[in-house]
Amino acid sequence: MMASSSGSGEAATERRGIPGAQFVEDVQTYLAQAGLDANSALAFLQERLQQYKLVEMKLLAQQRDLQAKIPDIEKCLDIVATLQAKKGSGEALLADFEVSEGIYSRARIEDTDSVCLWLGANVMLEYSCEEATALLQKNLENAKASLEVLVADLQFLRDQVTITQVTIARVYNWDVHQKRIRQAGAPVKDS
Amino acid sequence: MQQGGGSETEVTWDDQQNINRFSKLNNRFHELEDEIRIAKETNDNLEDASNELILTDEEVVRFQIGEVFAHVPKDEVESRIEEMKEVTTKNLGKLEEEKDSVLAQMAELKKILYGKFGDSINLEED
Repeated sequence: MMASSSGSGEAATERRGIPGAQFVEDVQTYLAQAGLDANSALAFLQERLQQYKLVEMKLLAQQRDLQAKIPDIEKCLDIVATLQAKKGSGEALLADFEVSEGIYSRARIEDTDSVCLWLGANVMLEYSCEEATALLQKNLENAKASLEVLVADLQFLRDQVTITQVTIARVYNWDVHQKRIRQAGAPVKDS
Repeated sequence: MQQGGGSETEVTWDDQQNINRFSKLNNRFHELEDEIRIAKETNDNLEDASNELILTDEEVVRFQIGEVFAHVPKDEVESRIEEMKEVTTKNLGKLEEEKDSVLAQMAELKKILYGKFGDSINLEED
């Protein structure tokens, strides 16, 4: 059911798998074109709304993941930068780290040219400090770009939700209005 | 004539776009409130940290970098904290500005939408 008539500059009809909500110029025309009565139209729109909500939850979860990942990468960059800064000085870096919950131990990190990066999937690779910085920087930029796309997706989705909610209200109101007209019309006919 | 009930006010594409814009701004407003709260907390923490730093007489301070606490000389810690405070304050200023702009835009849209729809539309927080 793609957006048909009314070339009133409607928004994109779908975005990355999310169907666009058709904007309704006139409720009567919309129902006639779709061949639906008010109740069926409302049922269809409600179902659409539910689908949108599901997708929204999925996107929000993805957004939360990315928002947690970005500070992590920034912390890694910070550490690598600190190690690099220490390199010239000849003294080791002393650091207290968590061995287990609540238990810390002191580590002595000597001058080093390389660090190991956890790549996921039980894989850890050794990189020179410069390469590590470059890789982490690229990951950071990718994460930020993905987040931007995700936010745009969410905005598109929310627009479709709003359009659908407004359409539901209008169809419902139109239906109430029609019933009132019929009721007002009936007594007159009987007399 | 007919009693109220089903209102006959037409909703144009422009109106729909205004409603969408209002919804977007409202969401952004709530996000900003959260971000501002977090930025203020961070600022307070940095303030407390630099106060503690003044009181301590240790020469080497355990400063959190990433997941570990590195032993860093006091002066370096001081300058790091100053830097972090500057960044957070600037960020906070930007967020407050954006919040003001969002509120102003929402007020504008409220005027337009209430003007056209009156009681048929509700733009308040529940």
